[in-house]
Amino acid sequence: MSTSLLNDLLSDHLDKGYAEVAARRAGRTAGGEMPHARRSGRLWLALGLLLTALLLAAAFRATTTQAPESARASQALVHDVQVGTATSDWLKRRAEDLSARLVRERDAVLATSKTGDRVTRQLQQVEAAAALVPVRGPGITVELGDAVAGQLDPATGDRITGTPEDSGRLQDRDLQSVVNALWAAGAEAVSINRERLAPTTAIRAAGEAILVDLFPLTSPYIIEAIGNPDTLLPRFADSGAARRYQSLVGVYGIRFGVQRSPDLQLRAATGTEPQYAHLLDETNAGPATGGAQGGQPSSAGSPSVPPGGGP
Amino acid sequence: MIAALAMVVGVVLGLALEPTVPLWLQPYLPIAVVAALDTVFGGVRAQLDGIFDSKVFVVSFVSNVLVAALVVFLGDKLGVGGQLSTGVVVVLGIRIFGNAAAIRRHLFRA
Repeated sequence: MSTSLLNDLLSDHLDKGYAEVAARRAGRTAGGEMPHARRSGRLWLALGLLLTALLLAAAFRATTTQAPESARASQALVHDVQVGTATSDWLKRRAEDLSARLVRERDAVLATSKTGDRVTRQLQQVEAAAALVPVRGPGITVELGDAVAGQLDPATGDRITGTPEDSGRLQDRDLQSVVNALWAAGAEAVSINRERLAPTTAIRAAGEAILVDLFPLTSPYIIEAIGNPDTLLPRFADSGAARRYQSLVGVYGIRFGVQRSPDLQLRAATGTEPQYAHLLDETNAGPATGGAQGGQPSSAGSPSVPPGGGP
Repeated sequence: MIAALAMVVGVVLGLALEPTVPLWLQPYLPIAVVAALDTVFGGVRAQLDGIFDSKVFVVSFVSNVLVAALVVFLGDKLGVGGQLSTGVVVVLGIRIFGNAAAIRRHLFRA
């Protein structure tokens, strides 16, 4: 049974209906074909071809419209990402504005007394160190970039050794060592691609992307460091990291350059959340801490204010 | 003449009207297309064999398309839709190639 099925499958390709109809027609061949039968046959054929063409065209149409649909879906996703990025940028700017306003208001309040003046100076130092305020000043700019794909050796016309996918791609530790060399050379504030580095900012890899403060950055990486250019530049150029990347330029084709920048503007880092300390809860803290501080929840926000001590 | 005209009309209708294939029907469209191709090749071969009959052609076309889609539909409901559609494509594909070979023998005597 099964072999005959397979045999049928492999040998009989034509629909049996044709043979049967032909045999039947041969049986009553005496009368010949009537014109009426021929006309209806032609109509049948027309109907069949119409259906066939309709089906094939519809399938073609469906396939061609489906492809753009998937493209449209990915485009919609890209659009979502762009909108999300724009929103996050806007929120970031707004946070910067608000914290700048907060600083202004606080300074205005503190400026009324001598103790306040001292506190303000201390706060400014601490905030500059914590990268919480935008800063500007002279410094140097370091440019690092992945090896360009398909770069050719000018001498032989061959591809430069090392495919850009692996060895020519900068890793998070490359940025780390350059940034560390900049700190060691005396930089006072550093940013990578406009992302300001706070003392707790992490530079780490996630897949193929390098995250700085959890924002993905792509090559080329512009590292701006504020400091005295006269000492910062030679000290950095003399550091082990700078010399290593200078030599890697020739080996792997990465981009590396250092230059003086007379006026750099670095924006504030996104505020760091205390990991262990948290604000006293207003409702719980009131009775627990006693009446002395009750009703002054805002004082919890500035724990660095030292107690009195002015003349 | 009428037949050629009907085919052109079919193509134009299919392309111009953009008949939106319902989503639940879309998985069966490829199967229906393969069944239709099988019927077309069978019809051409029957014509060359001299036993073509347009009624058989139309009836086998409609029934092949419907049955192929129905088999896959049943398979989908029973959890073997993928395998069954593979089976339909294999069987119809063998028939298409067999008929194409017969057509080639007719045309080129080789």
